[in-house]
Amino acid sequence: MTATTLELVLALRGVHKTYHLGQHVVRALQGVDLQLHPGEMLALTGPSGSGKSTLLNVAGLIDRPDRGEVLFRGRRVDGIGERDATLLRRDAIGFVFQNFNLIPVMTVADNVDYPLFLTGVGAAERRQRVAQVLRAVGLADHAAHRPDALSGGQRQRVAIARALVKRPALVIADEPTASLDSHTADQVLDLMRELGHAQGAAFLVATHDARALRRCDRVIDLCDGRIATAAAEELTA
Amino acid sequence: MNLHDHPPGALQPAPTRRTVPATDAWRWLRFAVLNTLRNRRRSLVTVSIAALGTAAILLAGGFALFTYQGLAQISARTTGHLIVGKPEAFTRDEDTPLQYGLDDVGALQAKLLADKQVLHVLPRVDFSGLISNGDKSTVMIAAGIDPDAEFAVKGPFLRVLAGDVLVSGKPGTVMLGEGLARSLKAAPGSSLTLLASTTEGALNALDVTVQGVFATGIPDVDKRLVYLDLATAQKLLVTQRVSSLGVFLSSLDATDGARSRIAAALPQLAVQTWLDQAVFYKSVKELYNRIFGALGLVIGIIVVFVVTNAMAMAIIERTREIGTLRALGTSPGQLTRSFALEGLVLGGSGALMGAGIALAVSLALVMFPITMPPPPGRSTGYPLQVAVDGGLYGTTVLAMVLLSMVASAWVARRTVRLAVVEALAHV
Repeated sequence: MTATTLELVLALRGVHKTYHLGQHVVRALQGVDLQLHPGEMLALTGPSGSGKSTLLNVAGLIDRPDRGEVLFRGRRVDGIGERDATLLRRDAIGFVFQNFNLIPVMTVADNVDYPLFLTGVGAAERRQRVAQVLRAVGLADHAAHRPDALSGGQRQRVAIARALVKRPALVIADEPTASLDSHTADQVLDLMRELGHAQGAAFLVATHDARALRRCDRVIDLCDGRIATAAAEELTA
Repeated sequence: MNLHDHPPGALQPAPTRRTVPATDAWRWLRFAVLNTLRNRRRSLVTVSIAALGTAAILLAGGFALFTYQGLAQISARTTGHLIVGKPEAFTRDEDTPLQYGLDDVGALQAKLLADKQVLHVLPRVDFSGLISNGDKSTVMIAAGIDPDAEFAVKGPFLRVLAGDVLVSGKPGTVMLGEGLARSLKAAPGSSLTLLASTTEGALNALDVTVQGVFATGIPDVDKRLVYLDLATAQKLLVTQRVSSLGVFLSSLDATDGARSRIAAALPQLAVQTWLDQAVFYKSVKELYNRIFGALGLVIGIIVVFVVTNAMAMAIIERTREIGTLRALGTSPGQLTRSFALEGLVLGGSGALMGAGIALAVSLALVMFPITMPPPPGRSTGYPLQVAVDGGLYGTTVLAMVLLSMVASAWVARRTVRLAVVEALAHV
């Protein structure tokens, strides 16, 4: 890749992160470098404790590195305050969680609408965009349902719709298929890839799922907080 | 479909701060309502306690208000809304009866009646002396009044136990308090002798006939009090003076304005309000304010604890969700406001329900009266009534809502500022 940092959605340079668990020191990230391009789907894999989740947290601006640089769309963000980080997450970063993390008291439509509501998009446009993205994930008929009335796969599709409705530059997905059966996992992964490409949103996906790895443009293997291997993989349709 | 209308992450830029439109406020409120309905039993308990607390405050406060209003009316009816006399009459002890009395009463009455708020002016002669049945003499406290005007203006302010009330134009008649009549073995038609110092300091006596026996409801007063008509009192004291003039106004609210006008019109005289002379009213009000103030404080603290406890449990249960909302870009301030709105829903529902309960009980007490036993020092009971005061209701409901909101926001303040990673990892 020869892209400048301005063209990159995300760039990490020499990122370190250490946790102190009592007297035990955990070096979660040890000098990680990473670049993510618009529309790219990058998989993070590695054994448990390899630093995948920490890397996602740092990339998603919900955690700060101890050392190193994090650039989001060319802007240094590793030292920004919580308020600015919140605004950046609100405006430009989507999240897909392993356990969906939908708001149970909200309907499907309200869950998807919530990020737009936060950004101050007008009600009419919100309605239109929510309907559009729910159609795209195949849940238009479930707009008025509560999450607890949906299957796991449907819930994850709602979570994807919620992540993408604001047309973010980056989507952070932490084990998005871990709670799903294989068939549903395939559907969800295809959906993420299809919509991500359609929107030009970059995906940073932590996963152990081999199917997910095959669907990603690149795979980075983390081990002990370091990048072990990085390989470009073609999408297997 | 086309999801590619805009470049990624390039939504119309949202301003970092914006005013909250009504629809946004409604959305947050709806979110708060839905959150309170998650654990219905817990919310029901919280709302019920807030309702009972509010009802207790409103009923206690309403009872106190009713008592204040009743005592104020009684005080004003007893003395008049305003009492006009010589300044010394209010500040010094008299060496002889009516030493500081008022002369030329007719002209003064005419002047006072010229004020548009003044309805009646009742002269009064207050003195003390002895009353005797020939065998036994005892101390009396006497009030010389204009009987027809007094009873017309004040209504049935005495409970007549025997005989009749005094009437004007029938000099030489008196009404005795129940205890005094019993002490003197007097009944309507009995002859008694009044003894008192005249305004010159000489001793004078006057034979009178008992017209009636009354009870004021205060046994200590009934052992001493004698009512007689003004002319008889003035004849006994050998004077044309009166002690004071009781000024009766169109309403209690007109007191302060009328006092200013009358004080300006009669600068040589002193004008006191009913409140200046209402020692019992002031004592009761001070006592009740402390008792019911403390009660309200305790209830308020209980409600705050209950709301705090309910919200604390809700927040612990929803820590992970708080992390999700923070990850999605919700600010700590927005979450704090959201929890404060939940407090508003719980506290507001409870307060409104409590106001409804208090209103229903107040109305029920009007429809089905309950008489309370006589208080210490009294011989008659009083109706248990609760005033429905808009100010009290508004203040109490508002206080409950604000307390609940502040309690909720206070409980939420740490969790909403928890690191997002930590909140998301909460189990």
